[in-house]
Amino acid sequence: MPRLNVLAAATPVVNRRALQSKPSNGHAVFIPQIRKLVFEYCDAWPSSSNLRRYIYNHVEDLAREHPHVEFVVKQRPSKEPIIRGLYLNNRDKVIGLKGFEVTQIQQKVQLLLDSSGNKIVPLKRKTVVSSTEAARGIWSGLHVPEPYRI
Amino acid sequence: MSALANVFRRCSANLSFARGLQTVPATLNTGHAEALSLIRSQPQRYVVASLVGRKYLLAPRDLLTVARLRDVKVGDRLALSDVHEVGSRDYTLRGDPTLPAGLVNVEATVVEHTKGAMERIVKFKRRKHYKKTVTHKQTYTRLRIGPIELTPTMPQSTQRQA
Repeated sequence: MPRLNVLAAATPVVNRRALQSKPSNGHAVFIPQIRKLVFEYCDAWPSSSNLRRYIYNHVEDLAREHPHVEFVVKQRPSKEPIIRGLYLNNRDKVIGLKGFEVTQIQQKVQLLLDSSGNKIVPLKRKTVVSSTEAARGIWSGLHVPEPYRI
Repeated sequence: MSALANVFRRCSANLSFARGLQTVPATLNTGHAEALSLIRSQPQRYVVASLVGRKYLLAPRDLLTVARLRDVKVGDRLALSDVHEVGSRDYTLRGDPTLPAGLVNVEATVVEHTKGAMERIVKFKRRKHYKKTVTHKQTYTRLRIGPIELTPTMPQSTQRQA
């Protein structure tokens, strides 16, 4: 039987994997990951008094300094005070503020503002996380003049 | 630092295996501008830069995790000042020990200040009623590496110092 001619593809051959984008926030443009910060306090209970003082004294300036974040002050009657940070990856971080002084509340607010919303994972060994292939290529023991012998 | 750049060239003999590499380094004595044009001609490049006292091999879009930098805010852009090496697949330009300032511009954006997972250090002495547990979450800063820019001309020529 005679060999058939190889025909050109009817539709353009597209490498679909090459069309996928790799997450790289901060490479060209940086988008802050926190979108909302909710302060929940109780009017009656004394455990919320420090958070109430913080809200009264500091939240307005904080909102002015971080225009990209939506600040919400909410009542949480008969419960301990908390702050909740909501992020663009649909996760939220909740920190209880029972027994916290105003300075400690400031530290926790800064923690939420600095975070990206990702889960806390071990980072000790994850120095460089790369999505690009190695620029110099990968060494292969089979593609050298003298094959590498173990 | 010498006025001539030492560019190391690699030869890949077996071109059918695109990711394979055959290292036969050859030193080309060229000027900085020609060295950079050779590197620029290839699609991918990398830098070896020092940050917080450690050297890292970085490519654009990498996410670098270092110890917490206390004097930067999230969203700040840091210019990497100590670049030891810039290269592509077949060409490398090495500094002595660093490349002249302004030759290669790489910026890193602070993406977040975060903490690692909880680490538990348990101290124990048997038969002595001594057991202690220390827990902590180490603080880190994560940086996103921006594009590697090679400036077309050297700011000023340098002479090797005696």
